[in-house]
Amino acid sequence: MGSELVWRWCVVGNGLVRCFYNNTTATATAIAKASSLYLSSPKPKPKFLILTPPLALIRITRSSSSSSLNLSQGYSSSSSSSNENNNEKKKKGGREYLEMTEQELMRECEMDTFKASGPGGQHRNKRESAVRVKHIPTGLIAQAVEDRSQHMNRSSALARLRTLLALHVRNTVDIDTYSPPPHLLSILPLKSTLRSSGPQIGPNNPKFLLGMQALLDLILAVDGSVSEAAKYVGLSTGALSRLILSHDSLRMAVNQLRASKGLKPLK
Amino acid sequence: MKLSFIRGCFPSNLSVFIKPSISTNLLRPICFSSMSSPPTSLKPQIPLFLRPPLHSVSVSDLRKWHDWAKNLASSVGTTFLDSDNGPDLDLLCRELKWLMEDAIEDHTVFSQMGIENNQTNVRLRTGIEELYNLWKQRIEERRPFQYLVGCEHWRDLVLSVQDGVLIPRPETELIVDLVADVVSNNEGLREGLWADLGTGSGALAIGIGRILGSCGRVIATDLSPVALSVAAFNVQKYGLQDVIELRQGSWFKPLKDVEGKLAGIVSNPPYIPSDNIPGLQAEVGRHEPRLALDGGLNGMDDLLHLCNGAALMLRPGGFFIFETNGEKQCKCLAKYIENDIRGSFHSLDIVSDFAGIQRFLTGFRQ
Repeated sequence: MGSELVWRWCVVGNGLVRCFYNNTTATATAIAKASSLYLSSPKPKPKFLILTPPLALIRITRSSSSSSLNLSQGYSSSSSSSNENNNEKKKKGGREYLEMTEQELMRECEMDTFKASGPGGQHRNKRESAVRVKHIPTGLIAQAVEDRSQHMNRSSALARLRTLLALHVRNTVDIDTYSPPPHLLSILPLKSTLRSSGPQIGPNNPKFLLGMQALLDLILAVDGSVSEAAKYVGLSTGALSRLILSHDSLRMAVNQLRASKGLKPLK
Repeated sequence: MKLSFIRGCFPSNLSVFIKPSISTNLLRPICFSSMSSPPTSLKPQIPLFLRPPLHSVSVSDLRKWHDWAKNLASSVGTTFLDSDNGPDLDLLCRELKWLMEDAIEDHTVFSQMGIENNQTNVRLRTGIEELYNLWKQRIEERRPFQYLVGCEHWRDLVLSVQDGVLIPRPETELIVDLVADVVSNNEGLREGLWADLGTGSGALAIGIGRILGSCGRVIATDLSPVALSVAAFNVQKYGLQDVIELRQGSWFKPLKDVEGKLAGIVSNPPYIPSDNIPGLQAEVGRHEPRLALDGGLNGMDDLLHLCNGAALMLRPGGFFIFETNGEKQCKCLAKYIENDIRGSFHSLDIVSDFAGIQRFLTGFRQ
């Protein structure tokens, strides 16, 4: 990991280069200022829609091996983020984020640990290896505390970040020419009329996220209507509802999306 | 040249330390890249999770132990936290869970723990009496959790540790990432010879050994034979015997034959100022080797020695990274390099750890 995108360097005084991206005292403004040094291209206007819950409200808890989200309340939707920190020349939608490797994704994140009390290092023996990663382009934050090493917690936090990206960063869909992408088809039950053979991918498969993201893109494009979305994927409304309800995070994301369109939640 | 073994007399394992031939030993490096010829007869302890599950206990008795252990932890409350920033109940409960994970062969038993009077037998890697004993040591003697289970999870590695060997810290994990960055676009460094000085459990040497190219090699040194035997165990566990060579001795002493040839030097030397030692968290101050912690009056004795040595041992363009106590030491070292040994290094950087403390000094040999 690590690159000029993660490590934000700042030349100080006697020619020393000081890294402060993860300094608890460094403010977002300072980081944004430093990043601007690296912005060589005009800022791209993001084309995706971010449904961003107030960040403080994102809390991720883990029960057994799967992650679930407790998004407490209050989504606000906006057509784009201000996105000063978008370092990439290429425009990115949620799909591109999900297709990035761990290192590529990490490069777009700030990472810090909490509880930075005391001198740390050799002074300390506490297996508090909690990790929090913040994805700069979207402002999404994920964290992990339960593993025994910081490195592994970082992997867990990044995995959760991917889930958040799938849930909250939308790709635009042209509904007139729509045909479901293969990732979406692979998470559908076999009764879908559009499906060819092959096993149905479940939530424990990393590829599920891509399918879930595509499904949310579609549901947004049809303004939250499950029955409309069902037609595009060759399923009955009931079958698509069951798929949505079987996955907590997906259900909550769909319901948030429906709420923003003034529709009642699926139950 | 400063020798650390004078301070090394503090640990209880004095007899292990001072070997009759130590003065000649230090000058004549002992190398044992293969496990067949370890430098001493020391046998490292096997971590709990690798021991065979030869013991057995009923779920009901295991649950009794667990409830007892939890109660003991609860009785601590915030006492440790308040006295020396030690572990609180949350952390102790997490450790208790990890202790069970390491001790119990079949983890599905966790779901049965709630059932009353369950007489099903569970296979354990140590006796239930020993589990009582270990947890008592944890709470009453503040013995580090990692010494109880004989391992530490560090990066994606599980490293064996035991009394007399510094437990690798999460902060130090970052050194491997920084080295990975440096070697990623520099073939000379990637395929070169690296040194990890004061390797302890071998953590840094192993982390770096795994990211170097096929020709890259690491020499890991330590003064402590216990540390070297544990490092050898870990090196073998990760199959890196052909990549990492272990040598006994103080800092650069066992490296005379590679003077001016090193592509990189990494070290997490003792850097705690001596007068901070008595106030350390009990797990650290009472149990970890002082040799690996005490950096002398201002904590900089070994760091300064390493800087001077690095100037001599690195080849032109070679890279160093040292862990320090924080901002003060980083700046002091940088100043020393820029003034007192001017012309030796360039591109000095100070890098913060994940808690925002300026933890590492890096630079390149001119």
